[in-house]
Amino acid sequence: MSPVCNDPVALGLWHPLAAVEDIQPFTEQRTRLLGQAIRYSKNHENDITVLDGDRRLPVTLAYGYVWTCLGTPAAALFDLPEYAEPDRRNVCAATVGVRVSAPRAVENFLDMGHFPFVHTGILGVEPHTEVREYRVDLDEQRDEILATECIFYQPQAAAGASGGIMADYIYRVPHPYCSVLYKSCPTDESRLDVIALFLQPVDEENVRAHALVSVIDTQSSDLDIRLFQQTIFGQDKPILENQLPKRLPLDPRAETPIRADKAAIVYRRWLRAKGLQYGVIPAAA
Amino acid sequence: MIDLEAARYLWHPIAASSDLVPRHVFHAQILGREMALWRADDDNVNAWENRCLHRGVRLSIGINDGTELLCQYHGWRYANRTAGCTYIPAHPADAPARTICNNTYPAVEHYGLIWSGDSPEGPLPLLSTVDTSFVTPLRAVTINAASQQILLPLIQGYTLQLSDTGDGSLRYGADTPDAFTIILRATDTSSDRAIPAPDIAFFLQPVDAARTTIRGILCGMDEHNTDPQALNDLLRFHNRLLCNIRDRLEKAMADEPAPTPWIPIIPTVSENQASMPAINEDGRSASLRVRVASIESLSPSVKSFRFEPLSDLPEAQLPASQPGAHIDVHLPNGLVRQYSLINGPGQTDHYAIAVKLSLPSTGGSQALHEHLREGDLLATSAPRNNFTLRRDAEHTHLVAGGIGLTPLLAMARALHHMGRPYTLHHFVSQESELFFQDELQTLSGSYHAHIGLNPSQTAVRLADILASPAEHQHLYLCGPAPMLQCARTTAADLNWQDHTVHFEYFANPEERDDSSSFDVDLARSGLTLNVPAGQSLLAVLREHGVTLPSSCEQGACGTCRVAVLQGTPDHQDVYLSDAEKARGDCLMSCVSRARSNKLTLDL
Amino acid sequence: MMTLYDYELSGNCYKIRLLLNILGIQYRKQSIEFYPAAEHRKEEFLAINPLGELPVLQDGDLTLRDSQAILVYLASEYDTAGNWYPLLNPRTLAEVTQWLCFANAITASASGARLVDGFFYNLDGDACRADAHRLFRILDEHLWFQERERQDWIVTGTAPTIADIACFPYVILSEEGGISRMDYPAIRRWTDRIKRIPGFTVMPGVFPAGPGV
Repeated sequence: MSPVCNDPVALGLWHPLAAVEDIQPFTEQRTRLLGQAIRYSKNHENDITVLDGDRRLPVTLAYGYVWTCLGTPAAALFDLPEYAEPDRRNVCAATVGVRVSAPRAVENFLDMGHFPFVHTGILGVEPHTEVREYRVDLDEQRDEILATECIFYQPQAAAGASGGIMADYIYRVPHPYCSVLYKSCPTDESRLDVIALFLQPVDEENVRAHALVSVIDTQSSDLDIRLFQQTIFGQDKPILENQLPKRLPLDPRAETPIRADKAAIVYRRWLRAKGLQYGVIPAAA
Repeated sequence: MIDLEAARYLWHPIAASSDLVPRHVFHAQILGREMALWRADDDNVNAWENRCLHRGVRLSIGINDGTELLCQYHGWRYANRTAGCTYIPAHPADAPARTICNNTYPAVEHYGLIWSGDSPEGPLPLLSTVDTSFVTPLRAVTINAASQQILLPLIQGYTLQLSDTGDGSLRYGADTPDAFTIILRATDTSSDRAIPAPDIAFFLQPVDAARTTIRGILCGMDEHNTDPQALNDLLRFHNRLLCNIRDRLEKAMADEPAPTPWIPIIPTVSENQASMPAINEDGRSASLRVRVASIESLSPSVKSFRFEPLSDLPEAQLPASQPGAHIDVHLPNGLVRQYSLINGPGQTDHYAIAVKLSLPSTGGSQALHEHLREGDLLATSAPRNNFTLRRDAEHTHLVAGGIGLTPLLAMARALHHMGRPYTLHHFVSQESELFFQDELQTLSGSYHAHIGLNPSQTAVRLADILASPAEHQHLYLCGPAPMLQCARTTAADLNWQDHTVHFEYFANPEERDDSSSFDVDLARSGLTLNVPAGQSLLAVLREHGVTLPSSCEQGACGTCRVAVLQGTPDHQDVYLSDAEKARGDCLMSCVSRARSNKLTLDL
Repeated sequence: MMTLYDYELSGNCYKIRLLLNILGIQYRKQSIEFYPAAEHRKEEFLAINPLGELPVLQDGDLTLRDSQAILVYLASEYDTAGNWYPLLNPRTLAEVTQWLCFANAITASASGARLVDGFFYNLDGDACRADAHRLFRILDEHLWFQERERQDWIVTGTAPTIADIACFPYVILSEEGGISRMDYPAIRRWTDRIKRIPGFTVMPGVFPAGPGV
C-alpha cells in the first residue's frame, strides 16, 4: 500500500479519472488517486458520482473526462477553449497505466529531442536530431508554462505524404500533471491540432495516462486517431518505466540538462516554487 | 543482518566473464545499486551507474556498439573506458562539455567472474586454500533471500546433497573466510568416481536486501583436458543442486515479510554539469601527462605519434575526445603546438596525432620528428573541439589538403561508425604524401585522392566537387591557407550556405595589426580596461585576473572566443566565417581588436 | 494478399508481424481495437473468430486463429528453406511444439501481468508475475546450457525456429507487467540475438538492437 498523500498542493488539484464515454452505467469502477482507493459510477440519468469510502468527492466533467479532487479545489480546472470549437474532432484516445511519476511523464511530453530515437519514422528520424532554440515563458497571470517557436523535423507530414517537414509545436503546462500540445495541422495551415495529456497520479510512482486528441481532420476515423496515439504512448512507455529514480528530482544537480531541455528546466523550477511534493524528490533546502 | 556499510568497501562478483558477450549490455546489481556492464570490442570491461546522466534512463537498455554505449532516449553516446559523453544529437553543432561523464565503478576479471563494488578498497583478495590454476564458473543462481540467510543452508544443503550422490567415501569440509565466501573442499576423493569432485568456491553476491546471487567456481579442473560431455553433466549436476537449495529456501521463507530494499545513493552531477556552461579553464592548460607509446612513419614527411596515460589507474585515464578536437602539445623545447586528434570512436586508451615535418620548421614539427623518442613523457591539454562534426547531415563532404587530413580522418571514422554517408577528398602534391590509404579504402564513405594539381587545377577540381550543394549537407575543410581560401570562395560562389561550410586553418596566414589602442567594458565583472598598442586583449584580460581558455593564440583555433555585446570588433582571425564576422557578436580575444572606441564584452 | 487482424500493442499479433516481416511476406493489416474499445469481443469480429481473440490470419479461403497455429502455417507454407518449422525432423518438430506450449504459458502469465498494469484487467497481477518468474527461470537455465553448447536458439539446430518467435514478444514486454529480466542474463542475450535476425521489426515497447560484431 502506498502512503496516503499529505501534500496540500496535490490534494487541492483536479485530477482526471476516466473518459466519460468509457464509463458503463450501473457498474461501479474502482481506481486509485494519490494512493487512495476510490470508486466512480454513472446512474441512469448519466450523473457521475465519485466516492472515497462514504465521502462524495467533487466532480467536474471537462474535455471528455471525469475530474475529481480529494481535498478542496484550490482553483477551477484550466481552460482548453479549443475543445469547444464546433468543427473539431474530440477523441479520448486512451487511458493506459505507466509505472512512472506524473511529473516524469509531463517532462517526456515536453521533450522533442527523443522523437528520432523513440518515435522513429513517425515524429522524427535520424539524422535530423537537432532541437533548435525555442522560447519558454512563465505566464504568471494564468500560472502556466508556455513553450513557443518549437520546431522539429518530422519525416512524414501526414499519412501518405512523402518527404519531411519542419513541424511547429507549442506546449502549455497549465497544471502540474497535465500538458497540452498544439501542432501544425496538416489539413489547415491556419489552425493547430491539439493533443492533451492528463495524468492521474495513482500513487507517487504510477500513473494512468489519459489522452485527448482534438483535431481538424475530416479524413481519419476515430479508430485511426486512437490507434496512432496508442502507438505513441506505447513507444514512450519503456523509456518512462526505465527512468531512475521514478519520481522527478527537483535538485538541479540530480541530472544534466541541455539547452533543448529549457521547458523541463522551467517546469522543475515551477514545481519547486509551488511547493509540490507528490511525485517529485524535493530539492534540499 | 549484513554490515551494509562494510560491504560497500569489498569486492563482489557481479557477473561471469562469459556473461559479457560482444555488443551486449549486462544488467547487474550490487548492494541495491544497479550497474550497466559492457565489454567493448577492445575487451575492456565497463561498469557504469545504470542511468544516463541526462534523464536517468537505464543504460542497460542502451546499445553497445563496440566502442560506445548509446542511450535509447536521446541517442547520447558515452565512450568506452572514460564514460565521457562524446555526442549529444539534439545539439549537433556543440561539442559536449567534457565534464559530462558517467559514474563509473572499478571492474576486474578474475576466476572467470567480473568483480566490482561500490568503493572496493585494496586489491581483490585471492583464494589461498584451493587450487585456482584452473577455474570453471558454475551457472549463477539467484535466490530471493538475503545473503546471511543463505550461508548456512547452502553449506549444509550442498554437502548433504553431494555426499548423497557420492559413494560414501566423499566428505566435504566447509570454510567461510568471510561473510560472502564459502569454500567446500573434498577431504576424501577416490580417482574412480563417477562424478569428478573438485573443490568449490562459492561467492554470495548481495544483490539487494532480499536477493542474492550464488556464483560458484569449480577449482583446479582443466576444462581442456575434461571430456566436454562430462563437463556439461557436471555443470548441470551442480546447477540442479543449487536450484534445489533455492527452491527449498524460498518455500521455507514464503511467509516472511520482505525487508525494505536498499536504496543506493546516486551521486549528483557536478555544479558546472548541472547547467552546461563553457569549459572553465585558464590559458593553455597542460593538465594531462602522457607517455609517447609509439612513433610511426606514415610517409617520408609525416609521422604519427601515439600518447598513452602514465598508468592504468582510473584517475590517469585520458578524457574522451570527439572528431575535430585538438590538443595542445607542450614540447620539450618549451613550444606549445596544436594537433588534431585522429582517434576513431571509442579509442579512449590513447591520443593519436599525425604531424608533417615542415621545413624550415618554427620548432614544432622538428621537435616532434627529430627529438621525440618512444617512452618520453609529455604534457598535453585535454581535448578541445572548435571544429565539431555535426552528425545530423544527410551527406557530409570532407575536403582535406595535405596534413589537413588529420581532423577529417577522425570525422570519417566517426561517420563510418555511425553508418552516415560521406565523401572524403584528399589533395596532395605527390603520391608519397598520401597516408592511411588502407584504412580509408575500407571505410564506408567514398574516398578520392587528388594528386599533384597546381592551384588553378585545384580550383577547377574543387568547383567540380562542390558543384551541387543541397539541403541537409555539410562541408568540412582543412588544409593549407591558399587551398582553404579557394575552397571557401568556390563554395560561396556555388551557393553553399554559410552555416553549412566548416573549416579549420593550421595557422593564421594573415599579418596581424596590433597597433591600435581601445577600451573594453566587461559587462559581468564591471571592469573597464584599456588594451594598449602592442598587447593583445587576451593578455590584458589575464593581467587583470579574468581567466579565459586559449590554445593557438593566433586567431586560428577558436578557443578564446568571447561574446561581444556592444561595439564593432576588428576580427583579424581566420576562425569565424564571413557571416559570423559580419554579425560582430563575438571575437577571438587573442588577435581581435576594436574598430569602435570601445567594446562591451560578455565577461 | 493475406489479411492480418491485428492490434499494434498485442504481443501475440506482434509474433505474426515479426515472422511475416522476416519471411518478407506482403500483407494487409486490419486493425481491431483490443483496448479500450474491446472490438475483438464485438459481434462483427466474433463472426471471424468465435473465441474473440487476436490475431486472425486470412489467406485466400483459409481463416486461422491462434498465434501459434498461424506461425506454424506461415512457416510451413512460406519458408522455402524449411528452417522456421522443420517438418522433416520429428524430434526437432516435437521440441518446437513443446516450446510453443511454453509460449502459451508465458502469455498467460507475463502478458496477464501487463494487462493488469497497463490496461487495468481484473486479474491477479502478483500471481501472474510469480508464474512468469517461474517460467523465466526455466527458460534462462535452458538457454544458458544451450549457449554452453554453442546453440543460439531455443531448439537445438543451426537456425532459429518459430519457438523463438513465439516466446519472444511477452518476454521482451515483461517489464510492462513489472517483471524484471535482470536475473535472467541468458534470456537477455537471447533477446539480443533475436533482434539481430534479418528482417526483425519492432513494436511499441521494443527497442532495436545495435549492430552485431
